[in-house]
Amino acid sequence: MKKYLSFLLIAILALSLVACASQPAEEPAPAEEPAAEEPAAEEPAAEEPAGDSKYGGEIVITDFPFTDVKSLDPHVVSAAGEMRHIENMYNGLLRYKEGTYGEVEGDLAKSYSVSDDNLTYTFELHEGVTFHNGDPLTAADVKYSIERIIEQEVRASYFAGLVSIETPDDTTVVITLEKPVAPFTTFLANPMTAIVNKNVVEANDGSLATVDAGSGPFMLDSWQKDQQMTLVKFDDYFEEGLPYLDKVVLKPIPEESARNTALRTGEVDLILQVDAKDVMTLEKEDGIVIDSVPGSYWEYIGMNMREGPLAVKEVRQAIAHGIDKEAMNQAIKFGEATVLTGAMIPPGHWAYADLDMYPAQNLEKAEELLAAGGYPDGFAVEMIVLSNSDIAIAAAQMTKQQLAPLGIDVTVSALESGVYFEKLGSGDFELTEIGWVGFIDPDEFLYNIFYTDGMWNQQGYSNPEFDALLDQGRTTLDQAARKEIYYEAQDILADDAPMAFLYVNNQISAYRDHVKGFDVNATVTLKSLKNTWLEK
Amino acid sequence: MGETWYRFRKNKLAFTGFAILMVFVFLAIFAPLIAPYDPFTMHVEDRLQTPGSNYLFGTDQFGRDILSRIIHGARISFQVGIISVGISLVAGLALGIAAGYYGKWVDMVISRLIDIMFSFPDIFLALVIMAILGTSLTNVMIAIGIVYTPIFARIARGATLTVKDNAYIEAARSIGVGDFMTILRHILPNIMAPLIVQTTLSFGFAIRSEAALSFLGLGVQPDVPSWGIMLNEGKEWLELGWWIAFFPGLAATLAILSFNVLGDGLRDALDPKLRNESE
Amino acid sequence: MLKYILKRILVALPVIFGISIIAFFLIRLVPGDTITALLGANYNEEQALILRAKYGLDQPLPVQYLIWLKNVLAGDFGISFFTKEPVVKIIMERLPVTLELMLISLLYSVFVAIPLGTIAAVKRNSATDYGASVFGLLGVSIPNFWLGILLIAFFSLHLRWLPSGGFVSFGVDPLENLRHMIMPSIALGTAVGAVIMRMTRSSMLEVLGQEYIKMADAKGVTNRRLIFHHALKNSFVPIVTVLGIQMGYLLGGSVVIEKIFALPGIGQLSLQAITNRDYALLQGCILLIATGFVVINLVVDIIYGFLDPKIRY
Repeated sequence: MKKYLSFLLIAILALSLVACASQPAEEPAPAEEPAAEEPAAEEPAAEEPAGDSKYGGEIVITDFPFTDVKSLDPHVVSAAGEMRHIENMYNGLLRYKEGTYGEVEGDLAKSYSVSDDNLTYTFELHEGVTFHNGDPLTAADVKYSIERIIEQEVRASYFAGLVSIETPDDTTVVITLEKPVAPFTTFLANPMTAIVNKNVVEANDGSLATVDAGSGPFMLDSWQKDQQMTLVKFDDYFEEGLPYLDKVVLKPIPEESARNTALRTGEVDLILQVDAKDVMTLEKEDGIVIDSVPGSYWEYIGMNMREGPLAVKEVRQAIAHGIDKEAMNQAIKFGEATVLTGAMIPPGHWAYADLDMYPAQNLEKAEELLAAGGYPDGFAVEMIVLSNSDIAIAAAQMTKQQLAPLGIDVTVSALESGVYFEKLGSGDFELTEIGWVGFIDPDEFLYNIFYTDGMWNQQGYSNPEFDALLDQGRTTLDQAARKEIYYEAQDILADDAPMAFLYVNNQISAYRDHVKGFDVNATVTLKSLKNTWLEK
Repeated sequence: MGETWYRFRKNKLAFTGFAILMVFVFLAIFAPLIAPYDPFTMHVEDRLQTPGSNYLFGTDQFGRDILSRIIHGARISFQVGIISVGISLVAGLALGIAAGYYGKWVDMVISRLIDIMFSFPDIFLALVIMAILGTSLTNVMIAIGIVYTPIFARIARGATLTVKDNAYIEAARSIGVGDFMTILRHILPNIMAPLIVQTTLSFGFAIRSEAALSFLGLGVQPDVPSWGIMLNEGKEWLELGWWIAFFPGLAATLAILSFNVLGDGLRDALDPKLRNESE
Repeated sequence: MLKYILKRILVALPVIFGISIIAFFLIRLVPGDTITALLGANYNEEQALILRAKYGLDQPLPVQYLIWLKNVLAGDFGISFFTKEPVVKIIMERLPVTLELMLISLLYSVFVAIPLGTIAAVKRNSATDYGASVFGLLGVSIPNFWLGILLIAFFSLHLRWLPSGGFVSFGVDPLENLRHMIMPSIALGTAVGAVIMRMTRSSMLEVLGQEYIKMADAKGVTNRRLIFHHALKNSFVPIVTVLGIQMGYLLGGSVVIEKIFALPGIGQLSLQAITNRDYALLQGCILLIATGFVVINLVVDIIYGFLDPKIRY
C-alpha cells in the first residue's frame, strides 16, 4: 500500500502548495514587451488540428492522487487529485502554455496588456463564451470569481496587493495592484484561478463541492466519489473545433499494480504519473507509450532547526554531506531522477543555481563538520515519514543506513497522514522526507517554505538576508535581475541547509498508443485533454 | 502425563509441526549467528538479485538479503507471539476466573465486556487500537494481546464454573483457604488443558495478526524485518522480484500451520474425548 | 420460539449499547484530531481552534457522546469531516461492495466446503479425504493477504486473466463485476471454506456413525439419499454455528482484502477514516461493523433455534 502513495503524499502536500502557489516563473517577461499587447491565446481554431485529428471517443484516465478527491470546488481544493478532476471543467483568464514549463498565454482573455508601471493589467475577453448551463460568461463573472477566491482564502494570497477590479464593459477586465508582483500572470494561469458562474454558486448555497459551474471544454456528467467521474464534451465550447473527445472518465485506482494492469488490459488509456519502477514493466508492453519530461517534483530531507543537534548549522551540513543521494536515486528511482547538489530549483529552470555544494557522499567531511558542530560521536534522532508513502519510507531507511557510520542513529517512524501533517505543520519533528511539486516561479519554490513567516516553513528556517532577497525577487520584474537575486538566495539556503535536497523527479506518463496530442507537462496536468484525440 | 505424551508422539502431523516450530525457535534465538548477512545492510549494487547461490532467497529493492531478513523476522514473530499471547492469557485468566468464581455482578459486568469485545472482528479491533496507540512493536503486542483476551476469558470462565462447585473446592473453602490460594491451587490446574490448546492456537493468530497489521502499515516501524512488512514491500515488486513477497509469506504460512497442527494435536492428546476425526 | 427470539434480542441490546460507547470514546483517544488532519500542511493553531468550535469538538466528552447518540438513534451518524457528506450516505455507498464480497466469499466457501467435507467423510481415508485435509489445514493457515498476493501474481500479472484490483458495480457490467470479485472472494473465503469443510467432515462422520443412520443403511436406503436426507441435514446445526463466527472473520478480513484488491468497501473506508482521523466516519464504520456482527450472530442463534429445538431456553 504504501507504495505508490508516496507520490500521493507528496503530491498532496505539494499540490497544496501548488495550489497556492503557482506563479509565473516563466518570465512572462512583461518588461520585454513594451506595450505588451500580447496576442494571447491562440485563436480558437489555431490549434491546428494537425490534419488527421479525429473526433469522438472516450478516454479513461487514472492517477494515484485520484483517490483523494473530496471536493470539486476550484477555489477551495488543494490536493492534486482534486485539481485534476476540476481543471477541464473551467477556464481561467490565462493558462499555462502547452508544451512549455510555465509559460503563460491567454485563455478566456483574447489579449491582455500590462501598464508601464506594472500595476495595471487589462484583459480583453473572448466574446460569446458561455458557461455549461448556457449563461453568458462576462467580465462581471471574472470580477465575481476573483472576489470569491479571496473570500475562500485558500488562494487569497494571489491577490494580496489587489487595489481594484473594474469591468468597463462585458469583455474588459482591469485589475490594479498596489505593488508590482512578478509572478502575477502565473497566479492567474493557475487552473484553480477558475472563472465560475455566479448563478450556479448561488443556486448551490455557495458551494461548488459537487457541481460544475464552469465554461471549460468538458462538463460534469456524473461523479461517484472514489469510483469514477465522467466528463462529457461541452458542445458550445468557445474555442472552435475543440475538444475532440466525447467523454473523459477519471477513475481512481489506489493500487499501483492495479493501475498498471488496467493500462495493459486497456481498461484505462492513460496513467498520468508512473514511477521509474513502472516504466521497467510497462515499456516492455506493446501498445503502450511512455512519455517523460523533466518534472517539478523535488524531494528533500527536512531538518527541524528549532532545537537540538539539528539547530547547529554544521550538523545539518554534515547530514547533507553524509547521505548518498546517488545510491538513493539508484535504489528508489532506478537512476531516473536528477540528483540535486545545491538547492532545489531544477537544472534547466531559468533560475537554476549551479552551486554543486554537496556533489556526492563525503563521510570524512561530514565527520569533520559533526565534530566542529560539537557532536563528534553523533546523536540519536527520529525521522518521520508518511506511512502510505513507499518512496519516503524507502528514502528514510536508506538515510538511516547511510548516516549510521557517522554515529547518527536514526529511528524511522511511519505515521498516518493525520499525525504526520500535524507534526510537520507544528514543527514537532526532527527529520522527515517528503517533496513538493508543481512550482513554476522561483518565488513559489522559496517563499512559502523558507521565508521567516512562510506559510509552510516547517523547518523553522529564518535568515534575514535571505528574506530580504525574496522580498526583492518578488517585486523585481526583470528576469536577469531576478536570476541574480535567486542565485544568491539559493546559495545562502544551501549553505544553511535547512533541508538536504535530494533529487527532482521526471514527470512520466504512460498511455495506450491510440492516445494522441496529450501534453506530458512538468506541472503534472490534464489541461491538454481538449487537444487530445484518439486514433481508433 | 505419560499417556498424553504417548498420544502426542503418535500424531505424526502434530509432531512435525512441533519440529518445524523448534527450527523457527532455533533460528529466532540464534538469528545473528545463522543469518548469512546483516538484515539491514543494503548492497545497493546487488539489488533485486534473483534467488541463487549468493543470496539464497534473493535480495530486495535495497539489496538486503531476504533470507537474513526472514530469519530475523522469526524473532519478531515469536516475540510478538509470546508477549501478546502472554497478555491475553494473563488478562483472560484473571477476568474469566473472576467472573466464574465470584459470579453475580462481577460475572455480569465481565461477561458483557467479553460479549462487546467479541462483537468486533479481530483484525478490525486491532487496527483501531493501533490507530490509538501508534505504530511500534510494543503497541502491536498490546493490541493483539487485548484482541485475544476475551477468548481466554470465556474459556477460563466456563471452566471455572464447571469446577467451582466441586467438593474439593468447597472443602478448601471450608477449612479457610483464601480465595486467591483456592483459585491458584485448585482451579488453575483443572482448566489447563483447554488453555494450553488455546494458547498454542493463539500463537498462530498472533503471528498472523502482526503480519496483517504490519502489512496494512499500522504495525511495526518500516525498517523492522517483520514478515508483514516484507510482504507489504514485496507486493509492489511482484513483477520485478516475486521472491520479495513470496518467501516471507511462505515463512508466515509455515509458522501458522505448525501452530495449528500442534494445537490440534495437543487437543487430541490432552483430551481424548474432544478428539475429532479431523486429522 | 418467540420468547427465545425476544430473549436473544434482549441479550444483544446491551452489547450494542456497549459498542456505541466504545465506538465513541475509543476514537477520542486517537492522537491527532480531525481538524489537524483536515488542515494538513496548512495547520495553524488559530484556525484549528475556530474549526474545533465549529464542529463542537470543544464540548466535554460526555456531552459530545449524548449528542452523538441522540443523532445516531435518529439515523443521523453525522457528517464526514473530510467529504462533507452524511456518514450514512457514504457508508451506504460502500456497503454493497463489502456485502457482495462477503456473500460471494461465503457462497464460494460453502459450495466448496460442504461437498468436499461430505465426500471426505463418506470416503474416509481416500485420496479425496487426504486432499480435503490438506485444504483444511492450509486454508486456515495461509494468511489471506498472502493468498491474495499470490493470486494477483499468478492470475493477473502472469496469466493476465483477471483484473488485479478495482471494482465495477454489478449494475454497470455484471460480468466485469464478477471478474473483479473472483480473486478477492477466493482470498477471503478460503479460510472460511477450510473451517466449514472440517466441520462438515467431522459432523458427518459423527452422524454417519449414529444408530439411525446405520439402521437406514441396513434398511437399504440408497447411499445418496442417505447422505443428503439424513446425514447432511443433521450435520447442519454445527455448520450453521461455525458460519456465524466465520461471518465475523469475513467482515474483519474484508479490511485487508479490500485494501489489496482496491475494492471501495467498508473495510477500505474504515482504513481511510483511520488515516484521516475522520471521527464521525470511523464511528459509523465501527458501529456498523460491530453491530452487524452482533446481528449476524443473533440471526444465527435464531436459525440455530429452529434447527435444533433442543437448545431452546
